[in-house]
Formats: sequence, structure tokens, C-alpha cells
Amino acid sequence: MTDGANILEVKGLNKYFGPTHANVDIDFTIKRGEIKGLIGENGSGKSTLISQIAGIYRYDSGSMTLNGEPYAPHSPKDANREKIAMVMQELGVVGTLPAGVNVFLGRTQQFTKAGFVNLKEVYAAAEKIFTQWDLPMPPLHQLAEGMMVETRKMIELARALSIDPDLLLLDEITQSLSMNNRDRLYGLIGKLKGMGRSVLVITHDVDELIEITDTITVLRDGAVVGEADSRRTTADEIKRMMVGRSMSGEYYREDQAPDYREKVMLTVRDMAVPGEIEDVSFELHEGEILGFCGLSDSGIHSVGKAVYGLSRLSSGSVRMEYADKDVKTAEQALATGAAYVPKDRDSEALMIHASVLDNICLPSVEELEGKVMYLAPGKLRALTNEMVEKFSVRTTGVHQTMDALSGGNKQKINLGRWLAKDLKLLILDCPTRGVDVGVKAYIYSLMKEAKKNGIATLLISDELTEVLGMADRLMVMKDGRITKVIRRDENFTEQSVIGAMI
Amino acid sequence: MRKRVFIRWQDIVPFIAFAAIFIFFSVTSGGKMLSAFNLKMLLDQSMVVVLMGCGMLFVVAQGSIDLSVGVNLALSGVFGVWFGFATGVIWLMIPAALVCGLAVGLLNGFLVSKLKVPSFMLTIAMLIGVRGIVNYIQQYIGTQMLPTSLAFLNQPPVKIPLFIVIVVIMVYLFEFTKIGRYSRAIGENETAAEYVGIPVSKIKIIAFALSGLMAGVGAFFAVIGVGGTSQTMGVFMEMKVAMAVFLGGVLVTGGASAKIYKVLLGSFSITIIVNGLALIGHPESQISESVEGILLLLILLATIFATRRDRQSGRMLPEGKNSGSLEFAEQKNRKADGKSV
Repeated sequence: MTDGANILEVKGLNKYFGPTHANVDIDFTIKRGEIKGLIGENGSGKSTLISQIAGIYRYDSGSMTLNGEPYAPHSPKDANREKIAMVMQELGVVGTLPAGVNVFLGRTQQFTKAGFVNLKEVYAAAEKIFTQWDLPMPPLHQLAEGMMVETRKMIELARALSIDPDLLLLDEITQSLSMNNRDRLYGLIGKLKGMGRSVLVITHDVDELIEITDTITVLRDGAVVGEADSRRTTADEIKRMMVGRSMSGEYYREDQAPDYREKVMLTVRDMAVPGEIEDVSFELHEGEILGFCGLSDSGIHSVGKAVYGLSRLSSGSVRMEYADKDVKTAEQALATGAAYVPKDRDSEALMIHASVLDNICLPSVEELEGKVMYLAPGKLRALTNEMVEKFSVRTTGVHQTMDALSGGNKQKINLGRWLAKDLKLLILDCPTRGVDVGVKAYIYSLMKEAKKNGIATLLISDELTEVLGMADRLMVMKDGRITKVIRRDENFTEQSVIGAMI
Repeated sequence: MRKRVFIRWQDIVPFIAFAAIFIFFSVTSGGKMLSAFNLKMLLDQSMVVVLMGCGMLFVVAQGSIDLSVGVNLALSGVFGVWFGFATGVIWLMIPAALVCGLAVGLLNGFLVSKLKVPSFMLTIAMLIGVRGIVNYIQQYIGTQMLPTSLAFLNQPPVKIPLFIVIVVIMVYLFEFTKIGRYSRAIGENETAAEYVGIPVSKIKIIAFALSGLMAGVGAFFAVIGVGGTSQTMGVFMEMKVAMAVFLGGVLVTGGASAKIYKVLLGSFSITIIVNGLALIGHPESQISESVEGILLLLILLATIFATRRDRQSGRMLPEGKNSGSLEFAEQKNRKADGKSV
């Protein structure tokens, strides 16, 4: 097989989930040595398509050909045997097993003699994979449980690479990586291309996609609506194809100067959490969006948690000036009218198997309480309906369970349930992680509205463009300390920020 | 807003099981089960299970379990009656039993929430340890008999309204207050509950306290039912109560699956099984316990399969075509056998 020949051909593929036509007559090819991007709004069928290639679902009609041979995998194991590996959008490591063993999950037979697994060999092989592909080595003997999202993602990546894949499928993995590891991943993709291997990438970040891929396939409502050559296309063209109309205007802020009121809402003094952050002090004003950015180990995410009272401070204080109260626990923070939207939506914020109503009402229970602690079902329903309507959440009803909603709708609920309240302080940790451009623009508009209403926002993000686009002032962090503070009307550019980050 | 109502198998199976058990024993007992005398007995027998199940539900909703309720019932009963006799005011046995049950519950709650002892291990330890205390006290003071002046408490016109009032209060607390709502939230996703700012430790302590308090209430009903206390009081009761909760269709992981009607249903189911087996000529002997076990297993399997079906058909929901269904696939894997896709 030479470069330029098709490694995978998909023809007339259809997939149904009950009444839902998730993939409609998909025709699509990947060449050897090609880096292909797959993009579309939430619910456009990207993950469904990639899951069929990876053998997680079986297709209902159509055909797939791999290297000229018919290809119909029954399981991810079948796919692995054909040298196709996938890294999933949601986390797939076993917490109770060491990182090294996770790399060879389900494939430890090769290290097995007389029924015993030679763990030494497993660890050695795992180590080799991390070095070979230049991935940051996690502590291989440690349990994966408690490791950072990012580290676990790397373990999954190592697992995929351990089968020496001809075709690597990456489903939205950059969203959980910070800048430095993203660069590593780009390097890795380039290396695979150099070796004549193919990669299929799904991401919501249009600019990123154009930069790293050769060609891009756009999906809408389950069908392919366009193909583009990454060198010639523009982000606008891709976005237009995705939504089927042109996006109007810029979705970030357009003003170039900080714009907030004098009144201080939050004062943080010498805040320290052992091993995470040190000497963090800042003030947050009424109507201000204060951005936090830094590399993965810079402690930006710990700042959000600590301000909301979720970490034990070894020194310093957090004072909600608007309520005239020092806050030490999340319970106190909630009572003052603060909100915290954590980074990992499904595992830290939402109750996935509970209903839309249960999720929306959770932060508002104290306000909804009547006499004798009575929570009137009518009141809960009214609040839920109001939220669902206001944020145009697509759901079949207030009692639908969350897991049936798309990522964008889940995030709307995750954010909207807080905005339903009389809020003073909003802490957002990567609020647009894993949502498509439409929802992203919507979330930014909500942030602008919150700003106008005087809500003080703490915006923590791995996406530099996002903080630059939205913040009045920007705190750059490195090794747990604030290294630089930049105002919107100063040197507010990526270069100046990156300089302080590394 | 409600365009479609999805009927979940998970919610129906307990009803079907209850109906099946009811019909089966009604027929095989030759109508004996439906006699007025037996129905009264059924109600009598299920009361204690229902009451304690309502308490334990708060704990189970949080994804924990309280296996100390049986022994707590024994301790509260023995202590309460002793206290009543010791003070010479027999009425005081009621508050004494309640306080004792509550105290054991508070201790459980404190150990689970503050010292992070897994509830399963902790309450097993309590089950063994406290039983020793009960045996010691019981040996020391001998079997206690209630004076006949209290016999009227066991009359249906007194007992049944009291039972109904207590159950209504528990329904209210679980379904219509934040105690129940937060308990379910903790069972669904403890991290999310904590990150929202819910006082997780406090709610955990309250749940165990309620479970303990209801064991005290159960002790009162058991004592007036039997007319005294004995060493074998409450033996195996925790299992009966736990089975009633799970039989009704509450998942071991708790969360949104926890509903109080399920406890009622499960309690009646398990009582009918025990009672029915006795009626058709297998008094509570070794063989009937085996049959009991097998029946319980069958019903639990049916519930589990129903839950799995529901989860799978979740893929068929209109908007679950993409990420939703993927997460299902993954979570199922994670839960089922720890293997990843």
C-alpha cells in the first residue's frame, strides 16, 4: 500500500437509534497518511460515525472497506485487530488499576505465563510507549484514580498507540488538554503522518482543526454536507457549513478597554492551598470578568475551587464583600449568592441519571423552600420550565433524564440553573468545554448579559482566545502563583500572555 | 411541556412482582391469606418493616446502607422498657426508645460522614458489637413483660392511625423537603452535590439519625406487638428491611431511583412471602428460608434486567443520538465489569 491510497472507505452508511436517524447515507474516505477532521454541531452524528468505525456500534446499512477488504467490526477489539484505535470523548480509564496496567487493559494476555501476568513486563512496555511517542509519563505504578483528567487522557492515548495503529480516531480529546500537551499531541499527529499512518480528529475548535488537518468533513443532522481542503478553507466557511447559514458578528466582546464598576465584590488575600497555589491575592469588581490562564499545572483550576470554599486553605482568606462575609465552605459560598461551574461537567456538576428538573432545581432548593421546609412540586416545575424555555434547552420534558441530552444542552442547564438565581459572583471553569460554536456563542452572550447585570465573573479557561476575548483583566499563573496581571487596554495579546505562562 | 411519558420497566417490575406474589399465595393458600384475621396479621407484620424502611431509605438514597437497624431496634426496645420500669413511669419507655435509636443513628452518621468509614463495614461492626450489649443487658435484667395497662396500644384503632401519621411524615420529609432531595442528589453524584454547596456531611448525619430514630419507633411497635422484650428481638430485621427497600426497586446506588412508595411495596411483598409460606404449610423453617431467598433473588434479577433495559432504550430518546448514547455505553461498561471500551 502506498501513500494516497484509501485506507478506509465508508459508503452509504446509515445508523438508527430507535426513531432517530443518526447517520444518513454517509460517504467518506480516509487516505493513508491523511489527517482528517470531522466537525459538526452537537448531535450532528460525529461520535456515532466514529463509534461505528471503532466497532462500538454496528451500522444498520451501507458498507465499510478497509484496505480494500470489507470491514464490519463487532467490537473495539475487532477494530484493534485491524489496527484501528480510538480515544473516547468521555473518560475511559479504570481508576482502581495502576496507570501502567491501564495502558494494556484487556490485552494483558501477551504478558501472561501460566495464568500469571508479569506486571514488570507490563510496566516496562507501558514505559516504552510513553517514551517512544514522547508523551508525558504518568507515575505508572500509581492508581489512575485521582489523577488529573489530562493525565488520564494521556494514558488513554498511550493505550491507543500501544496497538501501533494504522488509523487513530480521536474524539474531542484536545478539550481536556492544556496548551503544552496540545502541542505535544499536534507533534504526535505530525509524526504519525510522517509514518504514513492516518488520523481522524473530532474537535469543536475550528481554528485548531484547520491548523492540524489536511482535509475536513462537515456533518449536519447526521449527513455529510461538505468537504474542505484545510489549506484553502477559512474558519467562517466551516462554521457556515456546520450551521447551514452564516454566523453573524463576532462572538467575543468588541470593546477594547476594561469596563466595570468601582465596587469590590470579592477580596482574596494571600490564599494558599498546599501543593496547588500560593500567595494568591486579587480583587474582583462588580460587573467585571476576571480571566485566569496558565499551563496545566499552574493552579488556575485550584483558584476557582478554593474561592468557592471547596479546598482547605493553609493560609489567607476569601471574603465575599457583597455579603460582608468570609467564606470557608461551599455551603457558605452558596448562601451568599455565589456560583461555581466546575470543569468536568458530567462527573463534577451534573447528576447524569437524574431528571432535568432535579438538576436545574438543585442550587435553588433553599430559595424554593416554603413553610415547614415544604418544596412545592409546582414551584420546582415552574422554575424548570422557565429555565428550559429561557435557555432553549431541547428536551422532551422536565422529567427526561440528563443522559439523553446532547453536550450543549447539558451545558446550558449547567450554567442556566445558576443564572436563574439572584447571583452576585459567578465562577466559571472552562465553561465552553466540549460545546459547539452555536452554544459557545450563546454562552458568551450569557456572560455578557451577566456582566451587564453587575455579576462579578471569575473566568478560568484553558483556551487563551476565550479569556482574551472576554476578560476585563487577566491573571496569568505559573507554578501556583500569579505572575502577571494584564488589563484589557494594555498589552492584551497572546504573545504577552504566553510569555508569562512559561 | 410533557410531550411523551416514558414508562420505565424499572418502575413497573416491583408492582408486577407484588401482584404475582399476592395472587400466587392467595390461590395456593386456598383463600386463607385473604381472611380478615390474616390480613390484619399481614398489616401487623409489615408495619415495623415499613417504618424502618422509610428511615433506611434516606441512607440508601445516598448510596450508603444502614445494617444496624435490627440491632438498634433490639437495643432501643430493651433499653426503653428497662428505663420505663426503672423510673417507675412505664410511659417513659417511648421517649427512651426513641432517644436510644436516635443516638445510635447519630453515632453512625458521625462516623460515616466525618471519619469517612464506609457505611457497609461500619454498620456491620455495629450489628455485631451492639448485639453483644443487648445480650448482656437482657441477661442481666431477664425477660421484660409489659404491664397489661399498655395492651390497648396494640389495638388497631390506636396503632394504625399512629402508623399512618408517622409514614405520612416520612413521605413528606423524603419527597417534599430538601432532606430527601439532597439525599437523592448525594446518591446520584456526591461530588456534584458538594460542588454545588450542599452540606453533604450534615445531610448524611441527618439520614443516619432518621434511620436510627425509625429503628426506635420500630422498637416501640415491636415491643407493644410482642408485649415485652427478649434476646432474639430484631434478629435478621436489618436484612428484611434492606430487602424490602431493594425489592421495591430502589437501586443499591440510591439516587433518583429512591422513592418511598417502593419501600411500601417492597415491605408488603416481603411480608406476604413470609406469611404466605407459613400459610401453605411451611412455617418459618430452614426450607422456607431457602424459598424466601430464591424468591427474593428472582425479583431482584427482574428489577436489574428491567433497569438495564431502560438504560439501553435511553439510546432511543430523540436527542440521545450522539454523546448521550456514548456515555451510556461507557458508564455501563464502567459499572458492569470495570472493563473499558
